[in-house]
Amino acid sequence: MTNSIGELSDADVILLTGSNTSEQHPVIAGKILDAVRKGAKLLIFDPRIIHLTSFAHMHLRQKPGTDIVWINALMKVIIDEDLLDREFVNSRTEGFEELSRSLENYSLERAAEICGIEASDLREAARIFAMADKASIVYCMGITQHVFGTRNVLALANLALLTGNVGRLSTGVNPLRGQNNVQGACDVGALPNVLTGYQKVDDDVARGNFESAYGKKLPSKPGLTLIEIMNACLEGKIKFLYIMGENPMITEPDLKHVEEALSAVDFLVVQDIFLTETARLAHVVLPGSCWAEKDGTFTNTERRVQRIRKAIDPPGDARLDWQIICDIAKAFGSDYFEYSSAEEIFDEIAKLTPSYSGMSYQRLSTQGLQWPCPSVDHPGTVYLHETGFARGKGLFSVVEYDPESQKLEEHYPFVLMTGRVGFQYHSGTMSRRSRALAREVPEAYVEISPQDAARLGISDRDKVKVVSPNGELTVRAFVTERVRPGEIFIPFHFSEAPANILINSRELDPQSKITSMKFCPARIEKA
Amino acid sequence: MSDKNLDFSYTTVPTICPYCGTGCGMLLEVIGGKISGVLPMKGHPVSDGCLCLKGWTAHEFVSSPDRLARALVGKDGDFKEVGYTEAVALVADAMRETVENHGPDSCAFVASARCTNEENYLMSKLARFAVGTNNIDHCARL
Amino acid sequence: MSIREKARQLFAEGVDGVLAFKRTDGVCIPHLFTKTEVEEICKDVPADQRYPVAGIVRRIFLSGLAGKIGVVARGCDERALIELGKQGQIDFDLLSIIGVACSEEQARYCECSKPYPSRIDVGSRFEGISVSEKVRAVESMEGDERLAYWLAQFASCLKCMGCRNICPVCYCVECSLEDENLVRRGSVPPDWPVFHLLRAVDMASRCIDCGLCEESCPSGIPLRTLYKKATEIVKELFDYEPGADMTQRSPLGTIGDQSELPGGAFEA
Ligand code: SF4
Ligand code: SF4
Ligand code: SF4
Repeated sequence: MTNSIGELSDADVILLTGSNTSEQHPVIAGKILDAVRKGAKLLIFDPRIIHLTSFAHMHLRQKPGTDIVWINALMKVIIDEDLLDREFVNSRTEGFEELSRSLENYSLERAAEICGIEASDLREAARIFAMADKASIVYCMGITQHVFGTRNVLALANLALLTGNVGRLSTGVNPLRGQNNVQGACDVGALPNVLTGYQKVDDDVARGNFESAYGKKLPSKPGLTLIEIMNACLEGKIKFLYIMGENPMITEPDLKHVEEALSAVDFLVVQDIFLTETARLAHVVLPGSCWAEKDGTFTNTERRVQRIRKAIDPPGDARLDWQIICDIAKAFGSDYFEYSSAEEIFDEIAKLTPSYSGMSYQRLSTQGLQWPCPSVDHPGTVYLHETGFARGKGLFSVVEYDPESQKLEEHYPFVLMTGRVGFQYHSGTMSRRSRALAREVPEAYVEISPQDAARLGISDRDKVKVVSPNGELTVRAFVTERVRPGEIFIPFHFSEAPANILINSRELDPQSKITSMKFCPARIEKA
Repeated sequence: MSDKNLDFSYTTVPTICPYCGTGCGMLLEVIGGKISGVLPMKGHPVSDGCLCLKGWTAHEFVSSPDRLARALVGKDGDFKEVGYTEAVALVADAMRETVENHGPDSCAFVASARCTNEENYLMSKLARFAVGTNNIDHCARL
Repeated sequence: MSIREKARQLFAEGVDGVLAFKRTDGVCIPHLFTKTEVEEICKDVPADQRYPVAGIVRRIFLSGLAGKIGVVARGCDERALIELGKQGQIDFDLLSIIGVACSEEQARYCECSKPYPSRIDVGSRFEGISVSEKVRAVESMEGDERLAYWLAQFASCLKCMGCRNICPVCYCVECSLEDENLVRRGSVPPDWPVFHLLRAVDMASRCIDCGLCEESCPSGIPLRTLYKKATEIVKELFDYEPGADMTQRSPLGTIGDQSELPGGAFEA
């Protein structure tokens, strides 16, 4: 997030899209409700009805896959009606002319036709957003999990820049991270192209710092992303694969492909706290520890680095995950893996990472610190871009809608969206072992509109087969107004009905390498 | 009396919820050395005394009987338990052989958005520094 | 007297542990102190960081730990302990209370009618607030407006169960909020108003007005106001006040045997 969670309560307008916040980030939903009670206007762009839509000033239901169209249409209204923040655009941004020209094609009429939102509603939403003093954009996977996810995000950033909603309290472009430490894993370099703090592996200066700290040359060619790793396993190029604490056999798209890939490697190591679907395929399974058993830090979605603390010992022969890595490194013959505590590792991260360099366990305390925190007397950064952007001026990107992205295939008339439900989490490895959570939502289902259900002769709780070009799945039908005719939704947490089997992983977003989990052609048959 | 009765203890340990990216503050309740529950952390900058249902029940999976307590070696779900040191040696040997015979880029590492920063950092250090490959990623895209 | 002095005195009298607060890393956390740890006991009871100490005492006893416990208790905490004692959930013979009176500021924030325990060891007594402005404000709404107000509040519920989980006097093994016949599972918001009315009815004869439920509600629903009104009604009809003393019997517990709490209703 460019801004902080608490600031949401004081926004005048919140534009929420692709996030079922009440179910995925309930405590953040609480801040949004707080803002609404204080008079903020909530604009929700979402194909589905969600809990927060009953508190929204407007609920605008775009057709899946058409986000760029409505975002561009809002900007066109804002420019045409001269509602933009001229001063901000002139002094803090670049590329406005190009943006403005590129929006010519996004007349309200054309936009309305493509995205399915009334032209008058688009106009009203644009005015409300532009006229707010403090408008905050909040989004989640509904925006990013598309082959064009990166472009969706750029379009939202354009909207914030155009209206000067950046670099001030209660504004900004705010992605909500799904998992507890996605932000941190990225921050500390668990990515193929960057070292800690997003320092590029092919940047000689940045890499040089690490090389002198480690006393060894590091590879400068960016590595493979997870989906590319899976492909390389199948091609026989990856022979040794070490997976820590992830269960791609549930969470990755195109599960058949993942299983083939994992089975193809010569040596698969899985380190986890349960014998997951992925661990079952391993040659060696190492017993790791869970969060209650260790010291360390997580970084939340608002960049707050926070300490977790050990409460109990791990069971049996299970070890702290960082100790396992060190033991393997040492057995492999590598130096520089001698640590006596998680704190020592953190100090090394702080030394090598400019945005973390002012942090220490003592300073993090129980309140945490938000990066960037470049020095020991720096209080941390509540919101980004107050005075400028990393590159100086904010650059508008021209983002065009590609009609291909909304195309369905013959025999697959439905748009399938996959996602989460509130009472389960990710692959279900943890949450399905919780009695209270399992009680709430014990099994997978497919949401289908009453109209489609009637047409296909399907009743609530009937077993149905969902078929995509990639695979098929049998689940119970949940007939609900939450989805519109032509659209269906399946949660992905359930290993006996893994929705991701339906998703293809061959078409990826060129930048983020994300595949489309929110737009998959499908059909439904009675089982 | 009390000082000898080691199990006569109740304490709370400040920590962060392991589920979503909100990062709510919580206290783990530990009675007699066992986790018995969760309390929301008052005065936390994000959640100040609130949690969602997932947070409130975050302790429930910790003591699940399914927890892995031994290293396993095997294939196709047919596993046998081995000592920890033996398992570590097996992994290190396989890694060394792969690097020697096929080069560092024939190895790949998948870190975790559920593990700590420290652990993810070390995984990256293992890949880049020990093995010499940038083939490291995690499931962030989900 | 200070909390530490009183704790020392209790240890001298043979108490095995004292449940109080520990200041660590900028927060105050509940902790059961042993004799040797007495110097680490937080000198005050932090106003903005309140925890359900009575509920914790219940859980400590429930876990089978054997020993005598001293506990730092404000007015509401003592009321909760009394209520739990009445329901057979805790054994008063094993309990010694370190009574702490709340400040005027705290009492006003809580609109608490009795912001002190029966015996005050620490702090000085502020008489308390007899009329809740928040309750009066809701009462002053017209019927339709009031209904709409509560329905909108209930509709914002995120089903975190925090109101129940943090409540010091909620302990039923079989919670009606989890009964599939009453509240459908898996939906956010939970069926309303039934979810909230079920809880309000349950609390009408039990709520000791600590306000912890409202403080832990991520949706900011004014639960305390609701339960204050519910207990007010019970007081008017039956002259009964939960947690006031050990002898009064709950009027709602005597309506029929269905309403009697099952004996030994301990959580698993
Ligand atoms: S308590 Fe709920 S909202 Fe808070 S971090 Fe945990 S899962 Fe997220
Ligand atoms: S105020 Fe809320 S938490 Fe306290 S006793 Fe009443 S219902 Fe329970
Ligand atoms: S604490 Fe609030 S949001 Fe949570 S279940 Fe209770 S009323 Fe609903």
